[in-house]
Amino acid sequence: MEKPRHSSFFLFSGPRADEGVWRPCVDIYKTRSGWLLKFDLAGVRMEDVTVQVTGCHITVSGVRRDFLAEEDASYYSMEISYSKFERTVDLPCDLANPSVSVEGRDGLVIIRVTEG
Amino acid sequence: MAAEDVQILPILPLKNSVLFPHLLMPLSIGRAASLAGAEAALSTEEKEIVVIAQREPSKDTPAGEDLYTTGTKAVIKRMARSSDTQMDLIVLGVERVVLLRLEQAAPYLQGRVRPLPIPEENTPEVQALHRALSELAARVMQLAQPNTPPEMMAMLAQSDDPLRLVYLLASMITLELPKEQALLEAQSRSEALRLMHGYLSNEVQVLELRNKIASRAQTEMTRQQREYLLRQQLRAIQQELGEKDPQQAEVELLRERLQKLELPEEVRSEAERELSRLERLPPGAPDYQVIRTYMDFVVELPWNTFTEDSLDIPRARQILDEDHFDLKDVKERILEQLGVLKLNPNAKAPILCFFGPPGVGKTSLGQSIARALGRKFERMSLGGMHDEAELRGHRRTYIGAMPGRIVQAIRRAGSRNPVLMLDEVDKLGRDFRGDPAAALLEILDPEQNKAFRDNYLDLPFDLSRVFFIATANTLDTVPRPLLDRMEILRLAGYSEEEKIEIAKRYLVPRQLKQSGLDAKEVAFEDETLRRIIARYTREAGLRQLERTIGRVARKIALRRAEGDQSAITVRPDDLSDMLGAEIFAEDQLRKQQPPGVATGLAWTESGGEVLYVEATLLPGSRGLTITGQVGEVMQESARAAQSFVWAHAAELGIDPAAIKDSGIHVHVPAGAVPKDGPSAGVTMATAMASVYTQTPVRNDTAMTGEITLTGIVLPIGGVKEKMLAARRAGIRRIILPRGNEKDLRDLPEEVRREMEFISVERIEEVLAAALQTTEPVETLNA
Repeated sequence: MEKPRHSSFFLFSGPRADEGVWRPCVDIYKTRSGWLLKFDLAGVRMEDVTVQVTGCHITVSGVRRDFLAEEDASYYSMEISYSKFERTVDLPCDLANPSVSVEGRDGLVIIRVTEG
Repeated sequence: MAAEDVQILPILPLKNSVLFPHLLMPLSIGRAASLAGAEAALSTEEKEIVVIAQREPSKDTPAGEDLYTTGTKAVIKRMARSSDTQMDLIVLGVERVVLLRLEQAAPYLQGRVRPLPIPEENTPEVQALHRALSELAARVMQLAQPNTPPEMMAMLAQSDDPLRLVYLLASMITLELPKEQALLEAQSRSEALRLMHGYLSNEVQVLELRNKIASRAQTEMTRQQREYLLRQQLRAIQQELGEKDPQQAEVELLRERLQKLELPEEVRSEAERELSRLERLPPGAPDYQVIRTYMDFVVELPWNTFTEDSLDIPRARQILDEDHFDLKDVKERILEQLGVLKLNPNAKAPILCFFGPPGVGKTSLGQSIARALGRKFERMSLGGMHDEAELRGHRRTYIGAMPGRIVQAIRRAGSRNPVLMLDEVDKLGRDFRGDPAAALLEILDPEQNKAFRDNYLDLPFDLSRVFFIATANTLDTVPRPLLDRMEILRLAGYSEEEKIEIAKRYLVPRQLKQSGLDAKEVAFEDETLRRIIARYTREAGLRQLERTIGRVARKIALRRAEGDQSAITVRPDDLSDMLGAEIFAEDQLRKQQPPGVATGLAWTESGGEVLYVEATLLPGSRGLTITGQVGEVMQESARAAQSFVWAHAAELGIDPAAIKDSGIHVHVPAGAVPKDGPSAGVTMATAMASVYTQTPVRNDTAMTGEITLTGIVLPIGGVKEKMLAARRAGIRRIILPRGNEKDLRDLPEEVRREMEFISVERIEEVLAAALQTTEPVETLNA
């Protein structure tokens, strides 16, 4: 019974980032020495995460694999976004010589940007 | 195209819709194949599926040819089962793909697809289209939803990729499947933009129209609601103040009046019905005023109101004599009616028709009849009326309908037995709107007018007690059936003596009074009046005479105002000072007339006339020529006269050679005035006999009468007027048909005494009396 209605709801996930790519949520903290970014990336292996810094933009991208999908199991319901993700955060360019550290903890990816 | 771009993916056929890239769409799927396809997609890492619209929405298991070849690759973002056979998905369109080949049909459709990107394009055309589309989109949003969230508008404005804007708009407005598919299949950005622009323009028009309709309906509603609310409040306030609702008060007043009236049963029940209708109507209803006016009219009509007839015959006689001189016949007829009414109070009123020249007092006679009878008098002029509805009213269904003139006159009179004068019945018009004379037939028929139905009133009204009097100047134009219903009473013109008498009794006192003069101080000698009548007026009636007396009175009034207080007697010689030169020369007999001229008498609507018929021989021609605006009847009459003269040439002493050698021309002056009728027959015969025998006609003799081929003289009409005209012209000898002898009784005594009447049966007698055997008489002074 495919009787769809076009939703007037639509997705804008940043410039050119909605072609099947999902956006993780992010919390941003201002710290004494710089910035702390906390990405909600549960179920994503750290080796699948790429952090790229260009000027003041920090782009986090990667892939969340649906690793529990088995041959004989089928979905009853699905709410988690899988596959590729990408998120770009623009920070105020107030750091003269930033250094970046990435750390995964309890399903979160924590990125620190400090004056170095 | 690189090989890695080609993918094999499950296909989800859509029945009624197209998924566009970059857009989220909730889907609810239930077909087994679709469910299986979705499952397959979900079990992959990427959860990609191709969404393609079906060409034919009715097909439940679409095969390859039932699908469009262009679709959209999507990612399943959310999924939930609402039951075993139902799956709800939210899919996000990723990119446009083309279906290269169907790989598998069961358990789910699977096909080989390749991305089909739309080439980047940044020409001025695209930019222009993009801008136009943005404006149009803002307009649509404004129209569709006046309170669109500003973020939405901002989003529309900032979508810098024209294609994205197109897809976004496509998801927002309702489009048919083929149009959506066409958008998806667009070859270039400019094509997609153009298509969308077209759809959107249409949408704008539809929305504008819809808004217009909606807003109109809304203002209509709000106005009515407001009015209703205010009325309710008004009613509440009135109740609070102990006042009655004005509408209710009005209805009650009408009901009260209705109850007091004595009405026929049918009328009462109809009136009650209308009244209850009135009660139920809101005062704003268009019908309310119509019914109210109608009810007012019904209540005001004198359904059963009579005036008491005054049956005192001597008094009535006195009143009639006071108001009018002579007119014995008419007065007698009125008194007869009084006698009848005295014996039988329910007698039907007569329907009279007064017929005579203008100014003889027809209208005022009606007034004095009403006075003598003690009835109300109403007068209506029918002159120039050509619409039946004026007499009989318009049906109430018409806007501005009015009751007919008859019923209105009755209402004005306020009684059911007035004297109703129908003036100028001979001047009724008649055209495509109807024939008022035909309506009069019903009104004037005593058998029918008992229940006269006015179109407006639509109730039977009894007219049988109305005393109808019609007046006419001529009966020729009154339809026969109408004449048949009326009693014709003739008011012929007045003789000089009668005029003097009337002037002394009525006109002079009236005019003096109007000019503010005292009748005791101003006197008119009889001779003065006679000169006014003879030299300043020429009419059968009295209007001109009264006006002229009025002029004299005003001249005297002026003198009075300037200080001359002496009593004045107006003498004949004063007239030229007051009125200027005499207008009419004294009528003189034509002195010695040549052979071929005979004096005839004519009757016109305004009285009698003297008329000369001239005949002359036309040597060398043949036959009869007639000139002088002569009508058909008169022409035939001339021919009959000619035939008689020719046929009896020998007995008349005519030389047959004269007839053989020449034609005859008959002329009747004045040439510009149309004439008709048979009564000049004997005159023309006499003129012809005179010219053939070269014997002049006596100049003191006038003649009238119709002639037949065998020479018999038939009676004619209008004797009195003709005699008076002849006398005015100084003629003292009249030849008239024996059949008209009886009419001479109508003539005033002194006229009869002064004139010699020769009544004849045959034309020979006419000729013997008319043709001059002696010397012409000297002209008489009037």
